[in-house]
This record gives sequence, C-alpha cells and structure tokens, in this order.
Amino acid sequence: MTRAVHHDCDVLIVGSGAGGATTAAVLAEAGHDVLIVEEGSWVEQGSTVPFSLDQMDKQYRSGGVTVALGLPSIAYTEGRCAGGGTEVNSGLYWRPPEATLELWRTKYQIRDFASSDLLDICAEVESELSVQKVPGEHTDASDILRRGADRLGWRNDEIPRWMTYPEGAGATEGQRQSMTRTYLPRAFASGARILCDHRLDKITRSGRRATGAELTHTVDGESSAVTVAFRDVIVCGGAIQTPAILQRTGLRHRVGRTLAVHPTVKLAARFDDPVNTPEDVSVFQVKQFAPNISFGGSASHPGLVALALTDNWRDFGSAVTAWPELAIYYAAITSEGRGLVQAIPGVRDPLVTYRLTKRDRDLLGQGLARLAMVMLEAGAEEVYPSFKQAPIVRDRADLATMTSMFAASKASVMTVHLCSTAPMGDDERRCATDSHGLVHGTDNVFVNDAALLPEAPGVNPQASVMAIAIRNARRYCDERAG
Amino acid sequence: MSERMNDDAVAPTTIDPPDLTIVTGAAGWLGTGLVTALTGAGHAGPYHRPGAVRGLVRPDEDSRHLPEQVELVRGDVTDPDSLDDLFAGHSGTVDVIHTAGVIHPATSMDEFDEVNHRGTANVMDAAHRHGVRRVVHVSSNSPFGTNGDRTDRFGNDEPYHPYLGYGRSKMDAELAVLRAVDAGLNAVMVRPPWFYGPHQPARQTTFFTMVKNGRFPILGDGGQMRSMTYIDNLVQGIVRAELTATDPGQGWWIADAEPYTVNEIVATVGDALRAEGIEVKPNRFRLPDIAGTVAEKIDTVAQAAGRYITQFHVLGEMNKTIAVDISAARRDLGYEPQVALPEGMRNSIRWCLDQGIEL
Repeated sequence: MTRAVHHDCDVLIVGSGAGGATTAAVLAEAGHDVLIVEEGSWVEQGSTVPFSLDQMDKQYRSGGVTVALGLPSIAYTEGRCAGGGTEVNSGLYWRPPEATLELWRTKYQIRDFASSDLLDICAEVESELSVQKVPGEHTDASDILRRGADRLGWRNDEIPRWMTYPEGAGATEGQRQSMTRTYLPRAFASGARILCDHRLDKITRSGRRATGAELTHTVDGESSAVTVAFRDVIVCGGAIQTPAILQRTGLRHRVGRTLAVHPTVKLAARFDDPVNTPEDVSVFQVKQFAPNISFGGSASHPGLVALALTDNWRDFGSAVTAWPELAIYYAAITSEGRGLVQAIPGVRDPLVTYRLTKRDRDLLGQGLARLAMVMLEAGAEEVYPSFKQAPIVRDRADLATMTSMFAASKASVMTVHLCSTAPMGDDERRCATDSHGLVHGTDNVFVNDAALLPEAPGVNPQASVMAIAIRNARRYCDERAG
Repeated sequence: MSERMNDDAVAPTTIDPPDLTIVTGAAGWLGTGLVTALTGAGHAGPYHRPGAVRGLVRPDEDSRHLPEQVELVRGDVTDPDSLDDLFAGHSGTVDVIHTAGVIHPATSMDEFDEVNHRGTANVMDAAHRHGVRRVVHVSSNSPFGTNGDRTDRFGNDEPYHPYLGYGRSKMDAELAVLRAVDAGLNAVMVRPPWFYGPHQPARQTTFFTMVKNGRFPILGDGGQMRSMTYIDNLVQGIVRAELTATDPGQGWWIADAEPYTVNEIVATVGDALRAEGIEVKPNRFRLPDIAGTVAEKIDTVAQAAGRYITQFHVLGEMNKTIAVDISAARRDLGYEPQVALPEGMRNSIRWCLDQGIEL
C-alpha cells in the first residue's frame, strides 16, 4: 500500500442518503466546506431496472438482504450507493404524523421541536422532490389493493411519491427524484465534494473531540488508505451503520440499543389476469387499522415472487411459472419490540438482533389475515401467505385454517424501515444525542439520519428523516459560521 | 327487562313485525330476555309486537320463568324432526331468531359442534323449508379471536380466527348460515361480545361475588379492552337486524357504544354493588400476565383432550383484548345502544337481588 491519500475539510459527512445529502446541501449553501464520503458507488438513475436483482446487487448492502437475529429473525435491506435508500425505495412520501412529533417532543425532551416548523420544512421538501400523485393510470397491482379495500369499506389512500411524470403519464413512467438528482447536485453546486467507494473504518478521537477519519477506498477490487481531517463530523450512515461507526469510535451511551423497525409479513396473490408489474410497487396503502397495521404493495419481479413462495415451496412452488398473474403485498405493524446493533471488532458488519413482543407477533398474524381478506375481496384466485407450512387460501373458511396455523416464528418477517439507534433529545437517560444531533459527551460528533428518530414513525420514514436532518443542519449553520 | 328500555332516541325500523316470531333457545338467558320484550310481558315496551311469539324449549328444560304469552314448543335443535312443530298450524309471515347455543358445555366438548354448528344448520334448513321471511342468527366474537393490540377494533368484516372449541363451532355455525343464504334463505347475523344483564345465569353472578370479595383476577395491568353488550342493547340490535331491509348474509357487531378496560369493568361493578348497600372489599387480586397464558395453555390442552374447564377457559381469555367497532350497525341498522356499563350493571345487580340471589 502506498502512502495514504489525505483530504481536508470543514465538515465531513459520512453517507449520502436522505440524511447526508440534505445536510450537505444546507451546509454547503451556508458556505461550509463540505466533504461527503460514501461507501457505495455512484449509480445513475435509469442505469438499473428499479426493484430488480441487478439493482439489489449494485445499490444494496450485501446484495440486498441482511438479517437481524431473533425469533423470528428479521431480514432487512439497506441502500449502499450515492443517495442511499432514496435511490432504491418505493418513493412513497408520508409526512410525520403531528401527534407522533408531539409525543417525541415531550417523551424525549426534544428542544425547539415545534411540529409546525417541521411541517413547514416538509412543504419545502415536497416542492424540492416534486412530491405528487400519479397523473395517469395506476398499475394493476395498485388497483387490486384499492379495490379489495373499497369492497371491505376500509380506508385506503394513494400515497404521493417523489417522482416527476411526463404530462398525464402512468405510474411506471415516473422519474424518481432521489438524492442524486436533487439535494446532492445542490450541494455540489455550492462547492461540496463527494468521495464514492470510500468506506469509513474509524474516527479517531481525543477526549470530547473527534480528530480525524480513516477510510478505505476501493476501485476494481484494489484498496487504498485515505485519511480526512475536519473540524466537525456528521455521521449519516443509516440506522445500522451509524451506531456501528459511533461504537467503533468509543461512543456507546444509548447507541445501538433501541433499534426500531416496522416488521412486515407478506403474501403473494394470484389473479385470473396478468397483474404483475415488475418495475413498480403499489402506490395505495390501506390505513383502516393504522397506526397498528398498514397494508401496501411490495416489489414483485419474478425473483421476488419465487422468494415469496419459498416458505411452502412444496405446495406453492408450481405457482411460480404463473408469476405474471402474481403480485406481492405486505402487512406492516408498529412494533413494541426493540433491537440491538453491536459493532464486533474485526468484523465488517455489526451484529443486529431484534425481539418482537407477544403483541407484535399477534398483530403480524392479524395483519396477514386481514391482508389475505383484502386479496380475496379483490378477486384473488389463490393467496400464498409467506410462512412455513402455510395453506393456500381460496375462501374465507381457508382464512381460519391460515390463522390457526400462523406463528410469527414461522414467518418470513422483513423490514425496510430502520431507525432509532441514536435517539435525539435532552433526556440523557434515553438519548444518544442532544436535541439537534450532537452526540452526548462530544464537542464535534453529530448524527443526522434515521438513527435520530426516537421511535419508528408508523409511516414511511424518509420524509421524517429529511425534515429532521434539515432542521438540525440549519441549527448547525446558525451556531457555526461557514 | 329493565323498566328503562327506551328506544325513542333512535330511528324506526323499516319492516313490520311478522305474524309469528319463532325464538330458539327461548328458555335460555338471552332467549328469556328476548321473548319477554317481544311479548311485552309485564309492560308494553318498544319491542312489544302484536303477532304470536313461539319459543323452542328442550323437552326437559325448565320453562316456568317464561311469560305465559309465549307459545312453548318442546324440541331440540339437534333433532331436525322436532323443529317442524315450530311452524305447525300457522299461516302468514314468520321470522326466526336463533339464540340457542352452548357457551360452557356441561359434559363434553362434542356439545359445541352438535348444538352450535349442526343445530344451527338444522334451524336454517327448517326455516328454508317452511318459507321463513327473515332469520337472525345470534353469533359471537369467538369466531374472530382476539385483537392484536389494545387499540385495535374488529371491523364488521374480519377474517375468522376461532378461539378454541366454542369459537370453531360458532364459526361453523356462521358458515352454515352463509351456505343457507347461498341456497336462498334470507338470513343475517348479529355478533354480541360478552353480554350481561337481567336473566343472567349463575356463572355471571359468581362474577359479582368475586368483585364483592375483592377476588376478581385482574391480569397484568388490567388495561385490556373488552366490548360488552347489555341485554337491552342486544335485543335492540336483534330486532333491528330482523326488521331493517338489508341484503342477506351480512353480520353486525352489536355491543355497548365503547369497549371498557378490565379495570373499568371491575371498578364499575364494585360501585354498582356499593350503590345497593353491599360492602365491597378492595380488589387486590392481581396476577401477572403469565397466569393468563398458563391458563390458556391448560385450556387448550384440556380442550384438545375433549375436556372443558370453565375457570381456565375464562381466565385464559381475560388477558386478551376483544374490542369491536359498532359503526356498521349504526349505519346499516340505525342501532344506537341506550345503556352503558354503570346503568347496565346496576340493573343486573338489582335483578339478582329481586330474584333473592345472594351476592
């Protein structure tokens, strides 16, 4: 290895997703000298097929799926590319519920956290990301969810997305307004720099101050060492990597101890006609039983259809050849359980564990059964629930068989919403950072991503992450001149 | 029935009562309250109807408590031939209200299937054979299990998730009703959770005694939610389901307006007992949640072996939330519950005292 490449900056931002990109734009525009380091590569929107295996390989950590250990284990996904999760997620935009913000403010003693201020920021984000509903036709997979819920009289809504569409275009013609198209270019225009394919190994620290960062730059399998000197460092690696980075830096107070997720269970439903739209997901969600239970559509390309049928491959497997007639849906719950993220010395990825409570397990079963009923009402011929030994459901009597056989320990539980591993607030007994993301016990180490959310918000969390990150970044600029 | 039954506040039903109303399980708890209201025995309440009311009573069943206006027919839902007598010698419109059922079997678990499931199928067959105008089947919450979260509410349409033997038999009963509907019968269902009120059987009186002695087992923090149905509210729901024009095959939750916490139920019963001058000991009988889980396991194992132990069954259910949303009954039937827990429990306790039952 040759001598390390060295970079200097005012502010080092680790990660370029919903938290890192917004932070970079706000700071750069206020005149700070910003350097972003990103472990993943820069992948142009459009160069991979959305929700495809190729995309999972290029833009997700570990080729798509990682596992939080527990009974049952919970599979989770993390984006790993410039723009992070915003490049690959469903793009569904939910403002944080006002009542949730108010609960967080009081329970975690978050200062200057008026929900009206955050909702004002949400309005800015919506304009920046072109958040809107589909102007033209919906996909069949969307219509199924809406139709089934309507027949049951259950509340359902089209969720707007950060997409732009040609005039009057249908759902699949949208152009995702991810971070690589929005906040990152804004940051670059104000002088911010980004180093992709740079993995942060370590932040060096002397007492309350972080003094520098050591990274590994990988190109075509060749690694080289990189060092960065900075005034302040802001960690935005997402709810799994951020606490691992802090722990490796020796910052452990309330770090990685309160992982919160929205666990989901799935089913595949088979219809008479071709309904599968591999490159898109449903824009409808059923909120009749929210916040406890929500239903939505999952990515359904053929590989994922096969995956959804593997829990009872003996009985379900033959359906895979009919994949164009199948679509995958999920039931998500708000969980009372919590998980742990623990960095293990010498191991690249942290150990993640998560424990569902009895209430969580019961609710997953209830959610899956209600979701199956939506499918039957929508006209599904057969429903294949994703748990071991699950029966094929064709009518309501079969639902009783399904509910009697369900156990969360047999289910393929997964999640895409991870947060709360460095919760923010002035209550030091509960929180890892202060009310604006400064890690307790440090002078210049900040967190500004999903890890700050004190609890899972019960809705798609990206809007909450962005609003809070922008709020904190502005406070940072108020306090430190560029 | 209580004196205060008052239905003025709510919308009228849309169909005239039939010439003949047949009530199965007439000598049972709910049946007794229902035929008393329909015949206007004692006083003419809002549900008094001019037509005849016939009650099905088992051959050996005590029926001395039933009002004399009720025409008694001896028979059994488990004996299909005996049901024809219910329709004998009558012309004109006929409705059937099917309340017969077993909640806590006296001898064997087989009673659940024989009475609740096959008995219901027999009643539906007989009703269809005899050209009945409308059938109301009294179902239960138990085909639907329990809510996964305390804030969850069962909507009108829910997936079946039967709770043990009783739940399975009541689910099979619903499926039998739906099959009869497919065959052309005009039948609907009401689903009352845990009902209470005058005419209640001894096991519910035990509940009052436990509260009085401070020995009611509260599991965990007692914050579990339970929907309950005061008998007058249930009678209103049944009559509205019968006399409101709707598509057949539908079912509605019929319950008090809101679910109650277990703590609230125990405290309200205590207050109602005190209001009658009865001394009530403070309730200190709290058990950890695990006691409910253990009881549920014992109940499950016992039922699998064909045995039914009431205490374990009731305790096993006590740490669950069973809470329903009645808005569909309000919307479709104009159902509006008139009595809530404090008044309902006071009426129940007064009824017990009037009967000379020692609490």
